[in-house]
Amino acid sequence: MGFRLSAAILAGKAAARLSRACGYRGTSLPGLVARKICPAALIDLSAQVRRGIIVVSGTNGKTTTTNMIAGVLGDAGYKVIVNREGSNMISGVTAGFVANSAVSAHVDCDYAVLEVDEASMPAVLEETNPKVVLLTNFFRDQLDRYWELDKIIGVINDSLQKLKKSTTLVLNADDPLVAQLRGKTGLPAIFYGLSGYELARKTNTQTREAKFCPCCGFALVYEFFNYGQLGTYYCPNCVFQRPELQVEALGTVSKSNVNCCRIRYKKGEASLVIQALGLYNLYNALAAFTVGLHLGINVRTILNSLKKYQPVFGRMERFTYKRKPVYLNLVKNPTGFNEALAALCDAEGMKDVFIAVNDNYADSRDISWLWDVDFELLGREHQAFETFICSGRRAEEMALRLKYAGVPVEKITVNNNMRLAIEQVLSGPAQACYLFPTYTALWPAHKILEFLAVKGNADDQRMPSVS
Amino acid sequence: MISACHLYPDLLNLYGDRGNIIAFRQRCEWRNIPVKIKSISLGDKIEFKDYDFVFLGGGSDREQNLIAADLMKRRDRLKDAIEGGLVVLAICGGYQLLGKYYQTAEGKQIPCLDILDLYTTAGSKRLVGNLVVEVKLGGKPLKVVGFENHSGRTYTRSVKPLGKVLCGSGNNGSDGLEGARYKNVYCSYLHGPLLPKNSGLTDRLISLALKRRGMEYHLKQLDDSLEESARRVMLDRLGLRM
Repeated sequence: MGFRLSAAILAGKAAARLSRACGYRGTSLPGLVARKICPAALIDLSAQVRRGIIVVSGTNGKTTTTNMIAGVLGDAGYKVIVNREGSNMISGVTAGFVANSAVSAHVDCDYAVLEVDEASMPAVLEETNPKVVLLTNFFRDQLDRYWELDKIIGVINDSLQKLKKSTTLVLNADDPLVAQLRGKTGLPAIFYGLSGYELARKTNTQTREAKFCPCCGFALVYEFFNYGQLGTYYCPNCVFQRPELQVEALGTVSKSNVNCCRIRYKKGEASLVIQALGLYNLYNALAAFTVGLHLGINVRTILNSLKKYQPVFGRMERFTYKRKPVYLNLVKNPTGFNEALAALCDAEGMKDVFIAVNDNYADSRDISWLWDVDFELLGREHQAFETFICSGRRAEEMALRLKYAGVPVEKITVNNNMRLAIEQVLSGPAQACYLFPTYTALWPAHKILEFLAVKGNADDQRMPSVS
Repeated sequence: MISACHLYPDLLNLYGDRGNIIAFRQRCEWRNIPVKIKSISLGDKIEFKDYDFVFLGGGSDREQNLIAADLMKRRDRLKDAIEGGLVVLAICGGYQLLGKYYQTAEGKQIPCLDILDLYTTAGSKRLVGNLVVEVKLGGKPLKVVGFENHSGRTYTRSVKPLGKVLCGSGNNGSDGLEGARYKNVYCSYLHGPLLPKNSGLTDRLISLALKRRGMEYHLKQLDDSLEESARRVMLDRLGLRM
């Protein structure tokens, strides 16, 4: 440590102030600057975390799960560092530490919960010494950047193998692509999964990954699917199967704005309730519960913390416009979009929908993925929808996708002006609005919504009681 | 009734290519042309000669190897059907597979189906980006728009290319050509997917499939304003005219 690290932190903090003053979010710039001055900045800063580092990675659910875990640890009385949303590459992770470090380079925290981009896993794992690595799921995402899924999983597998045996993996047992990592890395692993989902399907028509056993290449057999390739599976040719669960969700019920289930774990059973739509959010909560349990946090504290968890920025984030509920949800890959559509179709009443598709680098320049999303669901259930307003740089392609999915053309509108398009959807005839922007459309959409609507639930509707 | 076949939809589905089947089906149904689309996977029985249209997409390396082995067993019947006028659309990996061989970076030649006179060599840099190709359909030029993402470099020999590259890399990034055409076989590196917004090409494939079935093949004009505007967005951005 010493002078060099202090200089790096000073420069990093100055960069943060400067970039904020210029109106940029610039959450990874301070890390970039600090690493330039002191390349070992992350190694030195992260080594000071008193109780341990928790790394969260996977395709979907990273941000939500990271925030849920941080909430649980904070409610348990610990001091926690988190890297900010969208800054999940190595410089962003470093920036998280810089922001929470004194100029003396002293870091005062018990835990650090780090959201890490899949492609940045090798670098982050090399420079930190995580106590827990949580992997949520692997789906195809931004193929123009990451290419094929097999390759990215291979890279993560290699980097996990270099970890000390003191690291525990927390893995989603329902995803064979994640579950395979225990056997391949030899690290101790804890598994969570979801059984008895009321709408679980015997077959899956969605585009899915992992048709073959990751160990022997034989076609996997599924007893049921929850979504994507997540479900209960086994290989008829070798020993690979969905691992035994240490934390198991049972009797899942999703109603209006609430998800709940029973959880069975080693020492007992509990009832988990979260105020967030979507089965994927239940998986996120289950992952956070498992990590909390492993870290020895009191079960009641974990459950209370998850119960009051509020969806983060653009993750089924709730707004209100003239007493009408408005939901904003980021979409970035077929599986995430399919899950958002499932939540959309489950919601009661008539709905207006806004979809903004951009094709900037951060969104994926290739928009082919829209054709892997099951918009046919909207075509079949279009009676529940008044209008579909398409915006963004590829609004026309989105409109075309809806047309070919069987949505009546008269319900589809293209409006390239995002502000006007959002005004249009908010003043639509339905009882609720759903806004689905891709990554670079999320920030402008959020800004416009904050201006036009009220954040949160203006009626302050009571939480339905769940016994 | 048009009989169509989607080859290995469970394996070759990397870049939204099922949109091609969606477009083919919808444009038939909107015209009340009955169409039956069968999905065929590893080991399933298929008589290519009984079909009018076959679609073959692209996949990741591992899946493509599995498919190559499976298709090799059906190679002669596929070739006979193609010689007899079977309409085929092959994209990316499927396109490469119809050629003579694929040469790896180490110089090893992996034999392909050897139905079209073309070959592919591995390239070091991936060719990724928006791609516009000028294709002549019935003598009329059509600007076909999509997205390419491939590392293989394909060289056509006696077969004709699908068209000329106006923007992007195409077959190999050097000869200015894209895709291949042989009898009723259309090959391309264009994802996007190819057929939905390039509806002129879709209708061409439907006409050819109807003709093969011995049906009258004058297609009713559809309202393609959304298709046109989706295509125009990219052409405008790249400074090209419709």
